[in-house]
Parts: sequence; C-alpha cells; structure tokens
Amino acid sequence: MEAWMGKILRVNLSYGDYHIEEIDPDYLRPYLGGRGLGSKILYDEVDPQVDPFSPENKLIFMTGPLTGTGAPCSSRYMVITKSPLSGTIACSNSGGFFGPELKFAGYDGIIFEGVADEPVYLWINDDEVEIRSAAEFWGKTTHETEDFIRAKIENKYLAKEIRVASIGPAGEKLSRIACVINDKNRAAGRSGVGAVMGSKKLKAIAVRGTGKIMLPDKEAFHKAVLHARDVIRAGPVTGEALPAYGTAVLVNIINEAKILPTNNWQVTYFETANKIAGETIAETILKRPKGCFACPIACGRLTEISDPQNTGMGSPKYFKGEGPEYETVELMGASCGIDNLAAITKANYLCNEMGMDTISAAATVATAMELYEKGYLPEKDLGLKANFGNADALIILTEKMGKREGIGDIMAEGGYRLAEQYGHPELFMGVKKLEAPAYDPRGVQSMGLQYATSNRGACHVRGYAIANEILGVHVKTDPLITEGKAEMVKTFQDITAVIDSSGLCLFVALATNFLYEEIQSLINAASGAGYTVDELVSIGERISNLERLFNLKAGLTKADDTLPKRLLEEPGGPKGDVCRLNEMLPEYYQLRGWDENGVPTTDKLSGLGLQ
Amino acid sequence: MIRLKIDHGKCTGCQECETACSMKHYTNEVNPKKSRIRVFEDEEEQRFFLIIAGPTTTAECTSKFDVVIAGQQYDGCTLCRSSCPARPWFTEPDTGVALKCDFCGDPPDPHCVKVCEKGALSIMEI
Ligand code: SF4
Ligand code: SF4
Repeated sequence: MEAWMGKILRVNLSYGDYHIEEIDPDYLRPYLGGRGLGSKILYDEVDPQVDPFSPENKLIFMTGPLTGTGAPCSSRYMVITKSPLSGTIACSNSGGFFGPELKFAGYDGIIFEGVADEPVYLWINDDEVEIRSAAEFWGKTTHETEDFIRAKIENKYLAKEIRVASIGPAGEKLSRIACVINDKNRAAGRSGVGAVMGSKKLKAIAVRGTGKIMLPDKEAFHKAVLHARDVIRAGPVTGEALPAYGTAVLVNIINEAKILPTNNWQVTYFETANKIAGETIAETILKRPKGCFACPIACGRLTEISDPQNTGMGSPKYFKGEGPEYETVELMGASCGIDNLAAITKANYLCNEMGMDTISAAATVATAMELYEKGYLPEKDLGLKANFGNADALIILTEKMGKREGIGDIMAEGGYRLAEQYGHPELFMGVKKLEAPAYDPRGVQSMGLQYATSNRGACHVRGYAIANEILGVHVKTDPLITEGKAEMVKTFQDITAVIDSSGLCLFVALATNFLYEEIQSLINAASGAGYTVDELVSIGERISNLERLFNLKAGLTKADDTLPKRLLEEPGGPKGDVCRLNEMLPEYYQLRGWDENGVPTTDKLSGLGLQ
Repeated sequence: MIRLKIDHGKCTGCQECETACSMKHYTNEVNPKKSRIRVFEDEEEQRFFLIIAGPTTTAECTSKFDVVIAGQQYDGCTLCRSSCPARPWFTEPDTGVALKCDFCGDPPDPHCVKVCEKGALSIMEI
C-alpha cells in the first residue's frame, strides 16, 4: 500500500536504543493511521491505569496516510499518550512541517518508551537515528531549542532543512498543561502531552527526510487534489474568511451569537470584542498569513507587536511570532475581560516559547481571576491584583505558570487543580479536568454534549458542531434546541476521528460538503487502499469506542460525562437558557450502542471488531 | 520564451509548489527534496523566499557575497539558484544528479504555478 511508509521507529529511552518495526497492514487498515493507529497502539501496549509520568506510559507520534502527500492541508501528525491532566487518553494534533518531514525520513510514526537518565533529543536524518544529549539546552525555550539544534549542524544549509518538535520549560517541569511545539509556533496543544515528554526527559525530536512518499497513480492523485482544492476554495469559511482573517474571524460571529465566554463564563457577550477580532488583527499586528504544509487556506498569522511590558523573555523591544488564534484570543481576551490585543499576543508568544497550551493556560488565568474577585484566592498568594481586565496580570501569571514560580506552581497543574486547591472546583470551566474552549453551550446546545462526551474532555476539535449550528457550513441548524443533537454530535465526532487519522487538517471539514466522499477519494487516490465510505464511517466509530474503552478502564465513569455547574444551572447565552445536557445524553448513549452507564455493549464492540 | 515571475509578498510558505514539481518529474512519488523550486522562511522578516533551480556548478564559489533586500542582508548562497555541491538542495539526494527548472517540459506547463493557491507564481512571456 502506497502513501504509508509502513515503518515505525520504536525508541526505548531507558535503554537508549531503538529499532524499526514494519506495520502489519491488517493491524493498520481498521485504524487508518494517525489518531486511530496511535490510539490502537496505546490501547494494546499501555495499561490505562498507568501513572502518566511513569516509564510505563508511552508517547506516540503518528502521521496519517495523507500526511506529506500534498493533498490539501496534509500537514498533520498526532501525539498520543495517557494524559496527566485528565487521566484520559490524550491525542493532540498539530500541523506545520514536522509531520511531513518525518514521513520523508521514512517513518509513519515514533513510539517512545521508558525514561531517559539524562535529558536527550532524538536526531533523525533518514536512516541515521541517534539519541543525543540535550544537556546543553535543557531549560531553554522551544524557540531557543530549535535554534540551538540547528546551530550545532555543521553544514548551515543542511541545517535549514531540519524540522524540530520540542518542549519548553513548562514540559520539563511537568506542567499538566504543557504542550509539544513544532516549527516554533505550532502546537500539539491539549491534554498535557508536553509534560509526558518532559517526564521522559525527551527535550526534542529533530528530523530531516530526503525520501519519497509513493503514490499508486500520480495523475489520478493530482486530479483528486485539484478537485479537493476547488471544494475548499469554494467554501465561504475556507475560501474567504480563514485566509483573510485567520481563525479569530470567529470572535465577532461568536459574540453576535452571544456565546462568547466572558469573565470566566459569567457573561456570554463581550462589549469590546471587536478590538481582539480577526479583522482587527489583520489591520494591526498581522505581517503575513502562514500556511502549514500544502495548505491552500493559510490561517496561520505571522504577527509582530511592540512589547507592552518587558517580562524578560525574548528581545526587549519587539516581539514576533505566530498567533493569536481564535481560542487563544478569546480565552486570554474576553474570558479574562481583556481587550488589549498586544498583551494577549504577547501572552500567546510566551505560551509558544514556554511550551504551554494556550487554551488551558488562558482558562486557568480566568479561573484565578474569578477566584480572586470572589475573595477565595488572596492577593498575597497571587502576588498581584488579578481582577478581570488586568492585562499585566495575564502576562505575569502566564510567565509564572511557565516557570512554576509562586502561584504559577499550582496554576501549572491546570484550572481544576487550582480551583480545587482554593476550595471552589465549581469555578473551573472544563470537563474531565480539561479546560473548555471558547463556545458557551448555553447558546449552542450540541457543544455541551460534545464537551461532556469527548474522549479527552472539554474540547471543540473532537466534534466541531459549531460548523453547522453557527456557521451553517453543511446545513444550518438551530443551536438553541436539543432535538437531533445527539445524532449530530456522534456524526461529527466520528468523521473527526477519520480526518485526524488521515493526516488532513480538521479545517477541510469547514469547506461546504467536504465530507466522507472527499476524504475517501483523497485517501484512495494516495494509497490505492480502496476504502469504502462505509468502511471509513466504521473506522470513525471504532476509534471513538476504543478511546472510550481506554477511559473506562482508566477509571472514568458516566459521572464524568458532565459539564460545569454554571452551564447546567445558571442561565446564560442569547435566551437565558442552561445547557440541557440531560435531554441529549441518554439518546447519545443509545445511538452509540452504549448501555445507560455509557459502557459500550458487547454487541457494539463485536460489530466493530473490538472484542 | 517564458520565465517564472515570483511575488514573494504573496507566498505563505506552504511548499505545495515543491510537492507538485517533484510529482511532475518523477513516476508516482512526492518528494520536496527533489523539487526544482524551494521555499525558505526568513523568520526575522517574517517572509518567504522562493528559489527556482538554475544552472549547475561543479564547485562552490570561492568569493562569497551578501545580498541586500529591503535593507536586510542575506547570505548570497542561500538565495543562489545554482545546483551547487555546497548545499543539499537542487541535487537529487539519492543519485547526486543536478536539478534545473525545465518549465515542466515543452510546451511549458509549470506545475508550481498551477498549484499555487496564493498567486505567488505566474508565467511571464519574454
Ligand atoms: S505554493 Fe505558492 S504559497 Fe505555497 S510555497 Fe509555493 S509559492 Fe508559496
Ligand atoms: S516550472 Fe516546473 S520544473 Fe520549474 S520549478 Fe515549476 S514545477 Fe518545477
């Protein structure tokens, strides 16, 4: 089968050795690659009860069959492990150029086992694989790490060709909200995967690949690619909104729908939202859009700000970097009551450099602000007055979190553990200890079900129902009703699992009618594997169920499929409603073929080949 | 005769031109390292440079020079179009064969231009 490289690199950090394994096509086919294959390997090899920071936990980097092929948005790889933040299965997705480079080096993925004695990084130059010391740059930021590794390479032209994924100080210090950063500003953000990398004392992976990805018939593939690009160009979101304004184009749209979390979700409308919106970013700080590998959308934003406050990171006067994206600008902005775009952007750069997930970091600051304003978190612990709207507090707390200094030490554990420490876990806005992204389910009911049931906790990119509920991408639905939402969430979750396994970026599904048929035609044209649509649909369902099984074995129960009290009990959103989760959840279980406790039935499992 | 015109301001660094170029010149494979067009990011200035492979040279230049673009100094060897033994690009990694843009054949049919979504590449008649 073309498109896959057919090889996985298995690195044992405890022994300091590695070997290359062939992938059995029969093992691969029902899981496709990426998220599916990585989750299957984790499920088969790691006890779900394992301590995420123990040597027995594994850290898996996995690409999909389309990664690197040049199919539109084919930049993606996944990081799969057991999450130290939520205790669930974690699989974080990232774009940029690292994933494709890994394939050009000849590998579909890497499995890291054990723990290194001393800080190391993995060097891959095609067949040349080496575990090297990272002692010299342990403690450095992700940007410094990448520069350092490049500078060590003798031929400076060759150095330009490597791609690096690394952790920053946050990951080294086992912050449960640490991410893996590749290509300096792209993040496998959620679930604390960077902390697992830190626990293994693995600072970075540097890769260069000069090999090829095989195709069965290049003319047919080229045709499929051009067609998919036409579909993406024709979609109003993918063809116009995202290229022009990036993901932050959502700020005004979500605010108009009155579902924009403000002041830690106490309010759902932010008066001055336009000051932090994508349109304003484009007019002020945007230098240039940046695309990930083979991406016709290019939603990435290369930006530059004058430093609003010198916190000692990077150059003192100017700051350059990428971002902010929608979730970042919203949660660091409205959710913290802040409309200072420069300050938000700087806090975003800090997160990228220190290797912290911007969603979790921002939501944790917002939680701290509410705890402070309600008098639960004293100023003497915080070291400052953290009232909503205080942009300095955002930057200072972000930096403290990255360094685990002062209050930053507990904040680095995430919003749940912070709120619990100060006696008010109900002020944590998330599910399964994962901080929620920036859409209030009280005005978009399906997202409540999505947050409650997503296998990694409150997450938008496991089933982006916003596409239909608010944006009307494929069909416009009424976001305020609960009828039909269980079906919708299930459908979105399953197709997302397929996209995440294919190596495509989830944003392809924001193009009108970019559904299973489009994905199928790209995968088959690239691989010759002849997947049917039915087969792909069942792959999505299989992955959702496999992840669920992992979580159940890890000790999670139906009681974890819930939402913060605020969303279930305090009216909010456009019509002053609550999220009526109880109207959707039983139906969702039933559609999934799960019993009333949310446990997959034997029938369901054997139907999916999971028995 | 045609030439390729580059508008650096429009490039987003996506490398799709590289995949298309390699796919055009080889049987059923994608390999950007065998592309006759390469894109490099200038992190400082936050922009992208496109280099299209020109004539080959058998030895590295003895005199080095810098190129100044918009007040910013660049190492001339990074921007040079030659297939040169000093650098890994514009040389087939497995065989060492030098690569040069051939406008995708005769008549010219530049695949990189075709796939560039952002209009950074166009054809110029001369
Ligand atoms: S395809 Fe266009 S935008 Fe992408 S790297 Fe090439 S020239 Fe730049
Ligand atoms: S014109 Fe053809 S050969 Fe020349 S760089 Fe573009 S794709 Fe490659």
